[in-house]
Amino acid sequence: MADKQPACMTCGSQGLCGGKGLLTLKEGAWKNNPLAIQMLGICSALAVTNRLENSLVMGAALIFVCVGSNLFVSLLRNVTPHRIRMIVEVAIIATFVILFDQFLKAFYWDMSKQLGPYVGLIITNCIIMGRAEAFALQNPPVLSIVDGVANGLGYAIVLAVIGFFRELLGSGEVMGYPILSSEWYEANQLMILAPGAFFTMGVVIALFNYLKGPEPEENK
Amino acid sequence: MRSLLGFASGDLEVKGSAYTLGYAAVLGAACALLLTGVASFTAPYRRANADADRKRNILTVLEVPYPKKVSSEELVTIFETNVREEKSPELEIYRYVPSGDSVGKETVAVHFEGPGLWGPIRGFLALDTDMRTIRGITFYEQEETPGLGGEIAADWFLKSFVGKEIVDASGQAGIIIKGGGDQNALNEVDTISGATMTCDKVEELLNNVIEKIVQEKN
Amino acid sequence: MSDTSAIVILIAAILTNNILLTNFLGMCSFIACSGQIRTAMGLGTAVTFVLTMTTMINYCIYHFILVPGGLEHLQFIVFIAVIAAFVQLVEMFVERFSPKLYFALGIFLPLITVNCAILGASLFMVIRGYNFLQSVGFGFGAGIGWALAIILMAGLRQKMRYSNVPEPFRGVPIAMIVTCVLAMAFMGFAGMVTIQ
Repeated sequence: MADKQPACMTCGSQGLCGGKGLLTLKEGAWKNNPLAIQMLGICSALAVTNRLENSLVMGAALIFVCVGSNLFVSLLRNVTPHRIRMIVEVAIIATFVILFDQFLKAFYWDMSKQLGPYVGLIITNCIIMGRAEAFALQNPPVLSIVDGVANGLGYAIVLAVIGFFRELLGSGEVMGYPILSSEWYEANQLMILAPGAFFTMGVVIALFNYLKGPEPEENK
Repeated sequence: MRSLLGFASGDLEVKGSAYTLGYAAVLGAACALLLTGVASFTAPYRRANADADRKRNILTVLEVPYPKKVSSEELVTIFETNVREEKSPELEIYRYVPSGDSVGKETVAVHFEGPGLWGPIRGFLALDTDMRTIRGITFYEQEETPGLGGEIAADWFLKSFVGKEIVDASGQAGIIIKGGGDQNALNEVDTISGATMTCDKVEELLNNVIEKIVQEKN
Repeated sequence: MSDTSAIVILIAAILTNNILLTNFLGMCSFIACSGQIRTAMGLGTAVTFVLTMTTMINYCIYHFILVPGGLEHLQFIVFIAVIAAFVQLVEMFVERFSPKLYFALGIFLPLITVNCAILGASLFMVIRGYNFLQSVGFGFGAGIGWALAIILMAGLRQKMRYSNVPEPFRGVPIAMIVTCVLAMAFMGFAGMVTIQ
């Protein structure tokens, strides 16, 4: 994925981001949305979106790990030997994931049980690895942080949308509060199970494609 | 051919190799240290959480009233005021003695665990003080198939145990989980259709603990 | 620790608890790769091999090193390191002995490292407390299940090339919806495991 070069006007080229902050943010969160456009990180998106609360926590986890990993990979980019760079990236990502997991277990125990192994699986989340390789290795730390935030946010938003609909249609609740009364709405349990996940994700990505409009030739 | 190339480039990279190894070692050590530090920091919290979780399960099955939004410390306090743990060689027993103005009947909870179909099944069986009538049951850990075996944790299945007894009409210890049995038999519970294997496992592990309960009583 | 036999676990991992269609693991390569049945079969074989071996190795490391040393919190790092190293070995092996396969698989071979299914299988093995034989059965079954799903998908996608799919749905969205139906079909296997 080549990142476009033209600078934005937010803080000019003297600012911390060298003028590319807003552009990076927009690219990561919308135009190059990791889930809907790059099709990365699908596994966890499908698994944890059975409830909105889980989706939000997972989104937060990804932002945390992506920012942390981007920051450190970028800081170390000039001293890391080329041959072991992938292992170094994995080590840094794994460290941040474990940090998040430990704090979850300590302070948000119920959520840790809900998310189960999927927190650990953030390590293999292609988004984080992808950003480390494609962006953090070639860009300064502050910009890398912005990119981490952007991609994490893009992921979190799509996750929230999917989680919202799956929980609403699958159990009549949102964040645990009953919205669709069980008196007239028979919850479609299939939405909470695997097929519902695939289906909602397909529809959301199609929606994204529709909203973005037809792609200019070079991007497809 | 490949090994020749490797041999040649190996010489050029001798210095690089040392640096690479050193870098890897330092990074590895730093990560391990950081994580071990964080792990020890969070260990007491994690233990407290696991403990509070377990106590909450016991409180639930004993029908001890506690507020919906409650902190771990409060949970532990409620537990310590109302529940007495009784040690016995084979069983883990918790006795709820309602004190003062707390509502409820005296109940006894017995911990059970055993292998399920896909993973361990653990829970508590709540009995009347006669150690015969079932007041309730919970499964706090199970890995059964959601929608099938996983229904053992569903309200309707748990409720079907209430009022049943752990011995049958002739005094023989043991409950039976099966489909289409005698509705009136006090030691029979309806099985979950499509989850025969899980129910078999549950029946087995419950009867294991029931056997011990009956032995203790005598 | 359940005493379900390893064979039952193996069959369940393929059909009723398919690691891709039930646990959503291994989706990335599933989406990116499944265009050709031949490539899908090659990838499926490679993943099955890596899954079986790494589950075995990780079991040994977890139970003989991490647990006795009180180092369970390092399991993520250790598991992924083992997987990365193992995939590297497989890559070198395939390149030496079957350059055709190496060329066909291309970038997907190193990408097996970040295939969530592989790390996921090891994590599930720990969470479910499998013993050694069960772990092997689980690893192998998960691989076969994943391969099965990806081959089915490749076949379906080949057919879909001739369908008139609406513009926004072309590519991944329609693949997702087809996977939805596939997942529903696999749900029909539930309750079939009565091997005794």
